[in-house]
Amino acid sequence: MIGKHLRWVIPLLAIVGASAWFFWPKAPAPLRASLVAAAAPADVAGFARAEGPREIVFPADRGPHDDYQTEWWYYTGNLTAETGEHFGYQLTFFRRALVPPDDRAARDSAWGADQVYMAHFALTDVSGGRHYSFERLARGAAGVAGAQADPYRVWLEDWEVAEIGATADVSGIEASAGLSGQAGQPAKASSPVAASDGAPWRPRPARLRAAAFDPNLNLNLSLDLTLSDFKPPVLQGDRGYSRKGPEPGNASYYVSRTRIASEGTVAVGDKVFQVSGLSWMDQEWSTSALGPEQVGWDWFSIQLDDETELMAFQLRRADGSVDAFSSGTLIAADGTTRQLGPGDFTLTPTATWRSPRTGGDYPAAWVLAVPAADLRLEITPWLADQEMQVSYTYWEGAVRVTGTSAGQPVVGNGYVELTGYAGSMQGQF
Amino acid sequence: MNRTLYNVGWRYQLCHPWQTFLMILGIALGVAVMVAIDLANSAASRAFDLSTDAVAGRATHQVIGGPAGLDEAVYTQLRAAGVRDVAPVVTDYVTSPQLGDRPLQLLGVDPFAEAPFRSYLAGATAGAQGSSYGGAAPGTPVGLDQLVAFLTRPGALLISEGLAAEYGLAVGDAVSLDASGRASTGVIVGLLRPEDGLTRRALDGMILADIASAQEALGMVGRLSHVDVILPDVRSDDFSRLATKTTEVVTTNLPSDAQLVPVGARSGALEQMTTAFRTNLTALSLLALVVGMFLIYNSMTFSVVQRRPLFGTLRCLGVTRAEIGRLVLGEAVAVGAIGSLLGLGLGVLLGQGAVQAVTQTINDLYFVVTVRGIAIPPGSLIKGMVLGVAATVASAALPAWEAASAPPRLALSRSGLEDKARRVTPFITALGAGGIALGGGLLAIPTRSLVISFAGIFFLTIGCALLAPISTLILARGALPLMGRAFGVLGRLAPRSVTAALSRTAVAVAALMVAVSVTVGVGLMVGSFRTTVVSWLGQTLWGDVYVSAPQFTATRSAAPLDPRALDLLVATPGIARWDVLRSTDVGSPDGPIGVTAVSDRDFTAPRVFVSTDGSREQVAGAVKAGAVLASEPLANRLGLPAHGAAVTLTTDRGEHTFPVAGIYRDYSNSQGTVMMGLDLYRQYWDDDAVTAALVVLAPGVETDRFVRDLQGRLAGIQGLLVRPNRALRDEALAVFDRAFAITGALQVLAAIVAFIGVLSALLSLQLERAREFGVLRAVGLTVRQFRGLVLLETGLMGLTAGLLALPTGLALALVLIFIINARSFGWTMQLYADPAVFLQALALAVVAALLAGVYPAIRMGRMAAAEALRGE
Repeated sequence: MIGKHLRWVIPLLAIVGASAWFFWPKAPAPLRASLVAAAAPADVAGFARAEGPREIVFPADRGPHDDYQTEWWYYTGNLTAETGEHFGYQLTFFRRALVPPDDRAARDSAWGADQVYMAHFALTDVSGGRHYSFERLARGAAGVAGAQADPYRVWLEDWEVAEIGATADVSGIEASAGLSGQAGQPAKASSPVAASDGAPWRPRPARLRAAAFDPNLNLNLSLDLTLSDFKPPVLQGDRGYSRKGPEPGNASYYVSRTRIASEGTVAVGDKVFQVSGLSWMDQEWSTSALGPEQVGWDWFSIQLDDETELMAFQLRRADGSVDAFSSGTLIAADGTTRQLGPGDFTLTPTATWRSPRTGGDYPAAWVLAVPAADLRLEITPWLADQEMQVSYTYWEGAVRVTGTSAGQPVVGNGYVELTGYAGSMQGQF
Repeated sequence: MNRTLYNVGWRYQLCHPWQTFLMILGIALGVAVMVAIDLANSAASRAFDLSTDAVAGRATHQVIGGPAGLDEAVYTQLRAAGVRDVAPVVTDYVTSPQLGDRPLQLLGVDPFAEAPFRSYLAGATAGAQGSSYGGAAPGTPVGLDQLVAFLTRPGALLISEGLAAEYGLAVGDAVSLDASGRASTGVIVGLLRPEDGLTRRALDGMILADIASAQEALGMVGRLSHVDVILPDVRSDDFSRLATKTTEVVTTNLPSDAQLVPVGARSGALEQMTTAFRTNLTALSLLALVVGMFLIYNSMTFSVVQRRPLFGTLRCLGVTRAEIGRLVLGEAVAVGAIGSLLGLGLGVLLGQGAVQAVTQTINDLYFVVTVRGIAIPPGSLIKGMVLGVAATVASAALPAWEAASAPPRLALSRSGLEDKARRVTPFITALGAGGIALGGGLLAIPTRSLVISFAGIFFLTIGCALLAPISTLILARGALPLMGRAFGVLGRLAPRSVTAALSRTAVAVAALMVAVSVTVGVGLMVGSFRTTVVSWLGQTLWGDVYVSAPQFTATRSAAPLDPRALDLLVATPGIARWDVLRSTDVGSPDGPIGVTAVSDRDFTAPRVFVSTDGSREQVAGAVKAGAVLASEPLANRLGLPAHGAAVTLTTDRGEHTFPVAGIYRDYSNSQGTVMMGLDLYRQYWDDDAVTAALVVLAPGVETDRFVRDLQGRLAGIQGLLVRPNRALRDEALAVFDRAFAITGALQVLAAIVAFIGVLSALLSLQLERAREFGVLRAVGLTVRQFRGLVLLETGLMGLTAGLLALPTGLALALVLIFIINARSFGWTMQLYADPAVFLQALALAVVAALLAGVYPAIRMGRMAAAEALRGE
């Protein structure tokens, strides 16, 4: 889950393109004009960079790290309705700093913005055979969009994930919810993450809400979930320091919450489904993580019914080879983690899918093997077309997983992100 | 048997490729005209929307607060509640010594919220969205860096290139701003290039800023001027849902006096005009259906009638009536499907071609691209297909039944049919009269139902079309002596042969007539809409130049003009006439009421009235005698009756009741306004102040030059706004004229269809009469004479159609303007009956028919007499 950032130069461009269409109130007329001359750009150097491991402290580090240029809070999940329908969802909040910390002016107005937020919301309705995607942008000011650590909340307009005051009782929810397999129990593992008072820290349940209207289909879609963590947060890479390239600064701080019990409703038009399942959450912040040769990436998050999870990403280089900074993490049922280097796992595409809209050729099924852990997984998308139709094109979709782990059959679900297939991501940086 | 029979039908078509071609062409044309006109209608409707957006903006409502503005939390709460089409605005007037020390509107917006409020989003973001328009559309995307400065630099401003050039400013220059005594410093971070005249004029008096900078510069931290809102169409379910939600947020979450109000320009005349425009286009689509049906009927009956001898022969051979019926109907379904499919394609081509043709002269790329790129309504394609096949089958059924039921021997003779056609003429005429009566009756029902009104129009048109046979007969007979005198034998021959083939000619005349009446209807409707727009603009943008003190609070302020400014104004050369007005709030038993008192003696003239006591002259007289006018919102608020109303105001002489001579449309003040003569006002109130001055310029005086001159004279006296209303009116009208130009596509289409329709009808007719011509040629008609005969015939048919189309078109326009619009929208337009429209229509009918006669005339003239007679 690398560098999902930066790509939103384009949506910002869209806004600026529009820069001059403003509404004129009293003698109202929309103004039609284009910006033809503008002040020189601010210097973008001066942002903090991820140059080595640092202590990650909760709950403070759940909030925004405004000194870094980009950050995201990434929620994905697989949900099953009581009536059997399968859904996948994605709700991501991106933050981007407009100017480095030293260039920020103190403002009287609450609207003064040096951060911009963008959010993507997608819903995969497997039985309906459709994937819906939406995008929104707002200034990170005046309460319209933002993120905060305690009480935890990240939001953009009415899309929001916010902590629910009390700790919900999750003992009744199976850790393997939405999967076939044996019942689980809340994680017994001790957390590698310390709260600011030194005690093991566990996130409180949160409520996730998003709703959107598809004007082409004249359809309202909404998602309303309660999220309760089974496991403590996972610090990816080296204590949360996740390297993407040889330069020390080409890295990010990366925290995952890999098994989140999720319960609530999905509404597609007039149909409301009671759903439950598992979500996965990533928080990552950085300043320019990717090197110039890296054109895209394949990222996997997999939740298996033996209460283990797997995260793996593979960076693809311009010459088609796999970058040496690809890596992954295996999370055991007790929350202990095992780092995977590029030589520790293999990823073999077994099918392709061509997007009818963009003509992009995507891999559409994989075999993922971790020989050292005796793990072999076959990964298939729940729906072939889960291409995000937002201001830049990528594929982000729910997948189903079958395979064997240490000789035992396992099943599960996950999410896969594929970028750089419909045109290189290079132009986006 | 069946197989053999179908072979007979199939072989016949193969052996007569011309006739088959004409039959399919007729059906295709009939379908094409429906589809093409629907397409042109959508384009015209979209163009009209673009024009109203350009003039009035896209916000339908605003959330406003008290005099101090609106708590900014309102906006965040609206967003958090999922209300999406809202945008915060912070604005007021500022002056700057670097910008001529005149009042400029500082407009603070949130660029992230502006998208729905930008009228031409598709064009503006074309590059970023990878749209097919590419970079051709205006508003080419610019770099992120430019937005960064705008958002993050306190005091960052954007001004127009024109303003920058006028005052010698460049990017990076600092300007000092004065907002009612509050000083701040701004910095120009970018220049804007206006894409059209209206924008250029607006930007001449405006500075753009990010909402944060605007709050800081205007001392409005924590507050908004208002929130712009777009609510969906009032009649949709979404409207009430969103309006309720918005109102809930506004009223429940906040203790303030925030309220949701309609935007004046939107809820008033303009919105109703837009709806009326759409309705009228729908009615015209309906007429396209009638044209299409006639074209199909014409070609199908012809194809069947022509095979009467074949059917006679088949009947002689023992084929039953039912079998012939099945043959014809089966063929009709097949041909109908083929023809309709071709028609759909042809219709799309025609429609797009026509729109392309009429937009060629418009140099606004965005407008052209948007209007041309209009999607084909799928409903229109389905409708075209279904109606095409249905009309084909129905048109084939009647003559098939007739042919099958005729005694076999009679079926072999053509004259039998024409005798019959003439015999049923009185019946058809009666049917036509009945149709007109039914249509009139439906229209007389006082209902707001558009379905009933449209049915009325439909029957009225059909009724008029059914008068084609009798009109043709009468005109031909009437023309007989005249043409005989002018052209001799040929002159007598032509009208007779038109009447002799009445079953064919009358249908061609009917189709031509309806098509031409559509052009008349469109011409009159557009003329009337334009007149109405002009009068609306005249009312909205009063006078040629409007001078007032800047004011931005929601309630109208009464900041009076400095008397010295008035003296200077009056002394400025170039003034033909000037008037002053006083706007203020006065007390009444019903609470404060806005009063606008005008020195103009004819101030009733530009008003658009909802209701009046008597004629306009009587209203003007009553106002001079001490009556007042009430605005529609006031009438609604006080429950004033349409006639004989009165309003009581608290004057400086005590309470006085003024008679109300008329109720006029005006939504600029949602609380309502009383309008009266300034003399009357000063008779009851001791108030010599003046709020604004209206100047009418002397002929030949250039508005812009006068405005600059006046601004120079007024500099330093009082920060006064000088608005070039005449220029604004012209710009706005130019914007609307582009929309009206699109309706030209309708006329082009009607003309094309009229021409091709009548051409195919004539070709069929001439083919059928080949033998007759052979005889004529054999008895000594020269080729020249023969061609003259054909042209005389077609000219006569064209004239008949044209003459019949004029009253029909006029009736259509009258019904649209005075019945449908008035009833559905309570909005009567002024009828503007341009004689040129009628002359053009008549010329169109005759020329189309004559041109259509050229090819058959040449073709038949070339045919050797022996060949034509070969069948004997």
